[in-house]
Amino acid sequence: MSLFQGINTSASALTANRLRMDTIASNIANAETTRANFVNGVWQPYRRKMVELSPKSGESFENLLQAAVGNVTGKNGSQGVRVTAIKEDETPFKLVYDPSHPDADKEGYVLMPNVDVMKEMVDMISASRSYEANITALNATKNMMMKALEIR
Amino acid sequence: MLGSYHMQVLERSMDAANLRNRTIANNLANIDTPQYKSQQVVFEEYLQQELSGARGQQKLEAYRTNEKHIPFANAGGFATPQIVSNPNNFVQNNGNDVDLEAEETELAKNQIWYSGLTQLTAGAYQKIRSVIDGGGK
Repeated sequence: MSLFQGINTSASALTANRLRMDTIASNIANAETTRANFVNGVWQPYRRKMVELSPKSGESFENLLQAAVGNVTGKNGSQGVRVTAIKEDETPFKLVYDPSHPDADKEGYVLMPNVDVMKEMVDMISASRSYEANITALNATKNMMMKALEIR
Repeated sequence: MLGSYHMQVLERSMDAANLRNRTIANNLANIDTPQYKSQQVVFEEYLQQELSGARGQQKLEAYRTNEKHIPFANAGGFATPQIVSNPNNFVQNNGNDVDLEAEETELAKNQIWYSGLTQLTAGAYQKIRSVIDGGGK
């Protein structure tokens, strides 16, 4: 059994959750950004970004070997989590009436980003809790290894 | 003595605890992954079956045509941890069924179990050492 597999698994989750936090921070920071992309001579507002997660494949040589020699039976699961993509939220932009805004059209309407700060806050709490849970798992793995080193 | 049955049980149990720790870490890593199904390690039941049977009784016996043939030592018969998907959890909106509280509890239990095993192992080595020293210390 690979010595640091447990720690690597937790580390992958910490990285993924850090990226989620960064994405959420970017969404909140750009909640009012009306000039994100210049498309066909028109400024497009910022589009909300989302992180796509999937389990890391468990079909490694080591896992298959462990199963083959009979140390483990059953499907040996994945080895952590990875970010497969950062997707953009395709929901329509918000149309806000604000004639004084520099990007307002002739009727006084401005296209605003499709970021809902409330939604971002909820996601942020979720990401931060997941981060904490994985820190706990990492500490548990670390403590177990330190215990094993006490055998002598 | 070093390769005794007692030590083998300890070793195997520690391996299982390590595997369980990895499985829980993996479940926690995938706590937000859509469609992820949590897994768990089944081991103690198998160990119990193994220990409740007669000590020499192995599940896989080599076919021996002569009394002097050497039997397989524990071949395939020793309790092997098994990874199964968790059958009881209900599924959330995103198809994920990781139960944070249950996983954290299992993690804590597993840690205590593991430190118990390390202490037993250390104790076993301590005994061997005192025999080598002739109890002179």
